[in-house]
Amino acid sequence: MDRRDFLRETLRAALAAVVWGAVPILTLRSGPSWAAAPVPELAVRTGKEIPALVRATLEALGGMGRFVKSGETVVVKPNIGWDRTVELAANTHPLVVRTVIELCLEAGAKRVTVFDRPCNDPRRCYVQSGIQAAVESLGSNRAVIEQIDRRAFVELDIQRGVELTRWSFYKPALDADRLINLPIAKHHSVSTVTAGMKNLMGVIGGNRGVLHRNLAEALVDINSVICSDLTIVDATRVLIANGPQGGRLEDVKILDTLVASPDIVAADAFAATLLGHQPEQIASIVAGARRGLGVMDLGRVKRV
Amino acid sequence: MKRFFPLHKLRLLVQIIALGTVLWLFLQTEYRGRDELAYPVGLLFRLDPLAALAAAFAPGAFGWALLWPALLLVALTVVLGRFFCGWLCPLGTTLDGCGRLVGRGRAIAGPGWRRIKYYLLAMLAAAAFCGVQLLGLFDPLAIFLRSLTLAFYPAVNVVGNDIFETFYQHPLPVLSPSLDAAYPFVRDHLLAYRPPVYTLALFTCAVFIGIVLLEKIERRFWCKNLCPLGALLGVCSRRALLQRTPSGLCSDCRVCATACRGGAVAEAGQHPEDCLVCGDCEAYCPQQRADFSFGHPPERTRIDLTRRGLLTSLACGALLGPVARVAPARDKLNPGLLRPPGAVAEGEFLRRCVRCGECLKVCIGGALHPALLEAGAVGLWTPLLVPRLGYCEYNCTLCGQVCPTGAIVRLPLEKKRKTVIGIAVFDKNRCLPYARGEECLVCEEHCPTGEKAIVFDQREVLFGSEPKRLKLPRVVKERCIGCGICETRCPLDGRSAILVINEGESRKPRDLWS
Repeated sequence: MDRRDFLRETLRAALAAVVWGAVPILTLRSGPSWAAAPVPELAVRTGKEIPALVRATLEALGGMGRFVKSGETVVVKPNIGWDRTVELAANTHPLVVRTVIELCLEAGAKRVTVFDRPCNDPRRCYVQSGIQAAVESLGSNRAVIEQIDRRAFVELDIQRGVELTRWSFYKPALDADRLINLPIAKHHSVSTVTAGMKNLMGVIGGNRGVLHRNLAEALVDINSVICSDLTIVDATRVLIANGPQGGRLEDVKILDTLVASPDIVAADAFAATLLGHQPEQIASIVAGARRGLGVMDLGRVKRV
Repeated sequence: MKRFFPLHKLRLLVQIIALGTVLWLFLQTEYRGRDELAYPVGLLFRLDPLAALAAAFAPGAFGWALLWPALLLVALTVVLGRFFCGWLCPLGTTLDGCGRLVGRGRAIAGPGWRRIKYYLLAMLAAAAFCGVQLLGLFDPLAIFLRSLTLAFYPAVNVVGNDIFETFYQHPLPVLSPSLDAAYPFVRDHLLAYRPPVYTLALFTCAVFIGIVLLEKIERRFWCKNLCPLGALLGVCSRRALLQRTPSGLCSDCRVCATACRGGAVAEAGQHPEDCLVCGDCEAYCPQQRADFSFGHPPERTRIDLTRRGLLTSLACGALLGPVARVAPARDKLNPGLLRPPGAVAEGEFLRRCVRCGECLKVCIGGALHPALLEAGAVGLWTPLLVPRLGYCEYNCTLCGQVCPTGAIVRLPLEKKRKTVIGIAVFDKNRCLPYARGEECLVCEEHCPTGEKAIVFDQREVLFGSEPKRLKLPRVVKERCIGCGICETRCPLDGRSAILVINEGESRKPRDLWS
């Protein structure tokens, strides 16, 4: 074989490979399982000891085994949005994250992945929040914390979209068998209170600031594509002013509370009351309830 | 003379190790999970006598703690000759490596060419003394690292990321799985965390390519004829203890006249200031006469300079200083002239900054970019903070940690958080709540000062005939530090509706009358 032949054969093989690679492989997505239960359950517990608090809250909902089955892949999505230390209450408490992962592993999860798309430098946020160290301290090869992989965003149509009809989403969050949403409740100037629904802005791509123009509807649009199987709102300490990134201890209030529900709207609604607001005052919660994402009326929620 | 391990092979080994070290330190010039950098990544410039010269002529104290290695290098050069050029300089090594690639010219430039580097050095030194420091533009170490930072490494990232992304999104058997397996390592250790983009990539690359192409004329053309660092080290190496014998061409053999890398052996005798101590002559000498050894008293030869040329270049430099300072204050003409936090006052900053590009490389938010004319004609390649492209991370002090000359002072975190880079101002013609009656407040959300510098007033505003209740943001001057995250994150396309200007900078000297 001379050089010319070699080049020709190589190009031919490459062409064949490209053609094969170009055949689209259709992946059928299951539609979002909108809160199915007519009366969602909601667990609220208080306690100083965070690991015990997390376990007690999940126990009230019937244990992690109800949400995570053996052999499933799980994404745990805490809020790691800001370059702030634990006590400043801008990110989910690392012990909450750690204990939830432990529970998933105990329930037999095949793999638990933790990530967020932060607002500050992601590496700094992962370190400063203490969450990277907390996950790594588990020392389990089934539990990993990852930086967002910039290759893995996909653009999707939002079928029931009101504000957004198409947006880019982070595929690993969509592909996992289970998504556990682990927000921290805090003050936010546009949405008044931010918790579960807004936390899922951390698994979308694009210019997220655009969403602020009609944040309430945009959040419901996002949540209609990415569905949380379980929302656990960290209200062990909350930011009551200068949110969502805070930075002053004066703005932090210790509540020692955890709110958990399979219904993201119910969880957010209860979290709002913890910050002294009625769910009806929070536009995103109202929009979520109106569009069938969950139940806002805390009277129609089964407290467990 | 036969050595057990020939000098030129040892040199090649050291060259490769030195270049590798520079590249490795370059890769470590990045946030790696700790607030303090683990390695002295700016070492190359702390070794740089030209950087020391710039710092020495700048107002303010000389940074002994930072720049003592440069003086050590000068001392070693006095003993060993221009070994730095032959053994360590990354640009020199690159030229040696690329020479064969581009095709090396065989011309021997005349002695007039050799003088250019001395005249250039004299001019730059005189200018630096008189107030305009341009040493960095011609410093080979700065040229090398700048090109790497601004052009080549970003290009590597573009290609690398493209390859990984293509085969991730269009999976091919065997190839894609193996690339995906390699991706985490490559991403974490070889590629930048955030794909770097810079404003002057092409221009910087062109300068570098130009220097490499000079190899087509003559081997190490840059080092022999133009390099001011080579000139400085050459002057220091005139009485070096390590010398080559025989000194000059042998009567029966003239190989050195054409084969010497530095052109140090000429008809008129030996020029120790041009000898790069590369050790090649030991290998190519057909009689095996050439030898490097200590203690030979070097014959005194003169550096071939004309008095008129030297005086002219000194005068040019001395003239350049005051004339360039005639230019009006740039911050008045360009309110967007922002410098990294910890930068000293503009006049001193320009005299200290050697345009090495370390701060541009390390900036975690991609906020620093090289200036073309934004900082005036003498501000070429100095770091500008361009908040629309990236912001200054509130808890980060990396740029101050890498600056080798103290142009950016290393600030403790508490002080850095209070250092005012500028102030944010709203463009109410574009800001959504003001201009279109829409909700936004993305700037307020991101504002990092504990008590936010961007606050809002909630007001009933009549929009056309429709009353709207809006949250209208405004800046609290006392709290704003001009980090620019608001400008970076402003969701509008194109120009931001909030702009950082250089009003109220901490580094601005305040006189009693203003």
